[in-house]
Amino acid sequence: MKINLEIIDASFIYGKKEIEDLNTKILVPKMMIRRRLTRAAKIVVELLSKVDFNTGRVFYGTSYGELKATANILNALEYDDILSPTDFQNSVYNTAVSYSSILSKNTNEILTISSGDETSKKLLKLGAIKALDEDEILLVCTETINIDNIEQVNKCIDYLEVGIALKVKLSTEKATIAFEGIENEGFPKSVSEILSIAKAFNKKQKNIVEINL
Amino acid sequence: MIKNKKVYINNFSSVSCAGENCEELFETICTKKETIKIDNSYIHDKDLALGKIKSDKLFYSLLIQECKKVLENSNLDNFNDTLLVVGSSVGGMQNTETIFFKEKNYKKVNPTYHGIDTICTILKEEFDFYDDISFSTACTSSANALGYAKEVISKGIYKNVLVVGADSLSHTTVCGFNALSVLSSSACTPFDKHRDGMNVSEAVAVLLIQNTKENINSIELCGVGYSSDAHHMTQPHPEGLGAIRAMENAIKDAKIDIKDIAYINAHGTGTQANDFSELTAIKSLFKSNNPYVSSTKSITGHTLGAAGAIEAIISCMVLQKQIIPPNKGLKTIDIDGINYSQDIIKENLFYVLSNSFAFGGNNTSLVFGIDK
Repeated sequence: MKINLEIIDASFIYGKKEIEDLNTKILVPKMMIRRRLTRAAKIVVELLSKVDFNTGRVFYGTSYGELKATANILNALEYDDILSPTDFQNSVYNTAVSYSSILSKNTNEILTISSGDETSKKLLKLGAIKALDEDEILLVCTETINIDNIEQVNKCIDYLEVGIALKVKLSTEKATIAFEGIENEGFPKSVSEILSIAKAFNKKQKNIVEINL
Repeated sequence: MIKNKKVYINNFSSVSCAGENCEELFETICTKKETIKIDNSYIHDKDLALGKIKSDKLFYSLLIQECKKVLENSNLDNFNDTLLVVGSSVGGMQNTETIFFKEKNYKKVNPTYHGIDTICTILKEEFDFYDDISFSTACTSSANALGYAKEVISKGIYKNVLVVGADSLSHTTVCGFNALSVLSSSACTPFDKHRDGMNVSEAVAVLLIQNTKENINSIELCGVGYSSDAHHMTQPHPEGLGAIRAMENAIKDAKIDIKDIAYINAHGTGTQANDFSELTAIKSLFKSNNPYVSSTKSITGHTLGAAGAIEAIISCMVLQKQIIPPNKGLKTIDIDGINYSQDIIKENLFYVLSNSFAFGGNNTSLVFGIDK
């Protein structure tokens, strides 16, 4: 089965170690909340602003989840440090989109998936199925793997922070953009398909992609 | 797009601290057996009450075993034409902990067996599936997996979906909840005035969801409702506004009247914040009727990402057996105006609602029914 999606808007941001030019101070003026945000949460907030999506259904994908909070917990346990309650609450995979829902008062359905290297591929399939309900939805993927000693396990990812957002809706029109074959060397495989679509997105034309279920 | 195909739960299997199969699980719940045990293996200087599976087998062996049981009892020869939908909040964290605590570094951590996708990876090493997807929304993970299963069958996209809710005990979750000061040192007593917290637990719960009714025990998955609190990362909305919306949405999706709900299997973790929010929501929504309410977490513990799936199995068995399970440990009611089941109640019931709530204000309600 195939479902076509119109990409209404798209954005992607990335950095070798960190994405440097985030506007979190402007987007989250309250310092107490801002301090608690994880890197992934800050990236999601940034992306929502870039594609102008405040409320509606959000579907999020991440393969590695909140790696820094997880690493902090492991280190606290191993070295008998105090385990931070904030690290624990921030370690769940749905942390980033939960913070963004709180900040934008978005009370809609918000789901998080994690399917290893195929996370963004599976997110697009899920998004296509959800889009059959005929509302505008947001698909967003992040990976934030910039933690101490990541080089012990990371041999091939150059961009340790990346985030991609697609605002989409169902379309009956033929596909206008093909996203296979776009080079994503140095990025996590888990974001590959959605990153390719964001790269191929052209604001001057209609952007339709075909999703094979 | 056809959106009204009926969705059936045709068979299921589970293993938890409350039993090595579903019949034992339900009997344990109805007879209020003690299942939650004191444990010092995660925090040596503190008594914590946890729900450990009693088995010599490794967790991943149990995972495969439960899926095999479901396949053997199904009309399928294999899972080649089946979508695998996993709900887990822990994934392969136990693997990472074991390696990191031994090696003191990440060098031997295999990312394939670290993340949420680990459950899918293990299952795909044993079975072939048409496709797979894993949901990870903390304690609503497998409720959301069930919701997605309902949606893809209802929309006519897939015919067979295997939903797996699986979370093992881990240092991260046990010590993490301890850091939040919400763990009890005895079996939890949801809704009791003297409750003192929750019990972290582990389970595997597997349900085969299909577009055809395969046997007389098949239960219809009638409705799913989602919402977000948009309130706080760990505290539910005090008025239960998100919970109300999730329950309303599920009942609306099931195309039934609110009066049709005869029993609610509550999220009921045994924490003050959850119980107050959920009961406030139930009282607010169910004004015209007063369905029975119980939490089965005093028996199963809180199985985190597996909770939605194991409580779905309990809800199915409530309908199959026409028995409403009791609230174990509820001696002094804290919040009045709720129809708590104090003992098992035999009742003619057609629709049951099951609630799951999670960190980040993620709410999912499911409606199960007897196909008329």
